[in-house]
Amino acid sequence: MRKVFEIALGILTAIGGFVDIGDIVANTETGARFGMSLAWVVVVGVVGICVFAEMAGRVATVSGRPVFDLVRERLGARVALVNLLASFFITFLTLAAEIGGVALAIELATSVNYLLWIPLVAFLVWFVVWRVKFQVMENVFGLLGLALIVVAVALWRLHPDWGGLIHGATHPAVPKGEGHPTWWYFAIALLGAAMTPYEVFFFSSGAVEDGWTRSDLMVNRANVYIGFPLGGLLSLTLMVMATLFFEPRGIEPGHLSQVALSTALVLGKLGLAVLLVGFFAATFGAALETALSCGYTVAQYFGFQWGKFVRPTEAPRFHLVTLLSIVLGAGLVLSTLDPIKVTEYSIVLSAAALPLTYFPILLVANDPDYMGDKVNSRLGNAIGSLYLALLLVVAVVTIPLMILTKAGS
Amino acid sequence: MAGRVLDAGLDLFDRQLLDKDARLAGKVDDLEFSFPEGGGPPHVTAILAGPGALAGRLGGRLGAWLEGLANRLRDSQERRPARIPFGVVKRIGSCVDLSVAKEELETDRVDAWIGDHVISRIPGARHAPE
Repeated sequence: MRKVFEIALGILTAIGGFVDIGDIVANTETGARFGMSLAWVVVVGVVGICVFAEMAGRVATVSGRPVFDLVRERLGARVALVNLLASFFITFLTLAAEIGGVALAIELATSVNYLLWIPLVAFLVWFVVWRVKFQVMENVFGLLGLALIVVAVALWRLHPDWGGLIHGATHPAVPKGEGHPTWWYFAIALLGAAMTPYEVFFFSSGAVEDGWTRSDLMVNRANVYIGFPLGGLLSLTLMVMATLFFEPRGIEPGHLSQVALSTALVLGKLGLAVLLVGFFAATFGAALETALSCGYTVAQYFGFQWGKFVRPTEAPRFHLVTLLSIVLGAGLVLSTLDPIKVTEYSIVLSAAALPLTYFPILLVANDPDYMGDKVNSRLGNAIGSLYLALLLVVAVVTIPLMILTKAGS
Repeated sequence: MAGRVLDAGLDLFDRQLLDKDARLAGKVDDLEFSFPEGGGPPHVTAILAGPGALAGRLGGRLGAWLEGLANRLRDSQERRPARIPFGVVKRIGSCVDLSVAKEELETDRVDAWIGDHVISRIPGARHAPE
């Protein structure tokens, strides 16, 4: 019975924790500009994150070694350091974007400028990292994040033309007036948002924080194969809403309030209130995950003690890195750099860096020295290799495409 | 641990160090060898860990910068990376297990300093999260 509860809780928190500021921004912007024509990318991205998060979770559970520990061991000190610098930078940028996102969500609720909320948000993020137990943190923000289901409720109440939406999604075509490069650029942004590297840093380190053993492999699979796709469905809902509300009117939403508008129009104040709780939980939860991931990656590269399962004095350098990342991340968005712009860059750069994270995972998940009988299945390897090839292509074309399309403008 | 033939590149470099209580204690950043007088294969005499040792492995400008940083962090004048004598190595697997507590290691000094001077000054540092 306890196991059933644990699995159910894991699935729920995986759904609520899936969406972050990157998903909100990428899905809304693409829906507004390209309708449902890029929905397939979300499917590709969600399958990809499922395949690799399951591997990362399984590796961490069986060998007790999280992702960046293995990156160092597999790639050696030099290459792993380059990997660390890139991964850390992207995770840090995402952290800044999430802190900005939380502040924007509070601005929507209070009408007090988001810049004033940033210091408080940063303090709260740090406080949770410092004082709140890992499991409590995971469950509270994961469950609160389920409030985003309100968007799906609004969509259902709208009685949209489902046939038209499905047709748009299954017959992808570049809309008139948009260039192919821009369309592909947004496809990459969506993929980056769905497969952000911090998700596996956090997920695999979380398996160690939670003390997963072989008997928890079931929980791992349930989280990933049930929770993540349902979370992905939630981010697709945002794309559908943008398709219905913004695309016909040619509006390009540049602010979180516009994302909230559609739900508010359908469900009124109460719907808006629930949505704001969802926004807050999704971005705050992701701020915690990225802040911790900054500490995890650095500590795991250098072999420092890390984790919330020990007293902070036992893991001084881990806590120092996490604290500094939060302070500097808050500083970055306090500089009045638009958090939405920071988000856009963080997801596109994530896409370019994906092979750095996923290649070592695929290697170790096949190594019987670590995995014993729990190595990848043939099917897992086939899908994993296919994705790796795809991610390599994405990594090569991202930056040229970014320059060519002037970052999708 | 004595008399085992290892491929240092494959079996030792970049492995995680664990102290006697399974606490994380750094990585095998580099190794110290001694060459027997009568010839024959070199022996590993110590594990070198920490920024100073890592700097040597990295090389280039980044390595030089890291080495400079490591030299500043050291209180003694001797310019050598922190070492862990190979005698305290208990077992080599996917991690390297040591038979001593991490506090006894030369490599733990930076961590201890940050712990004492920064982290433990923040309220709540000595309690596990609740």
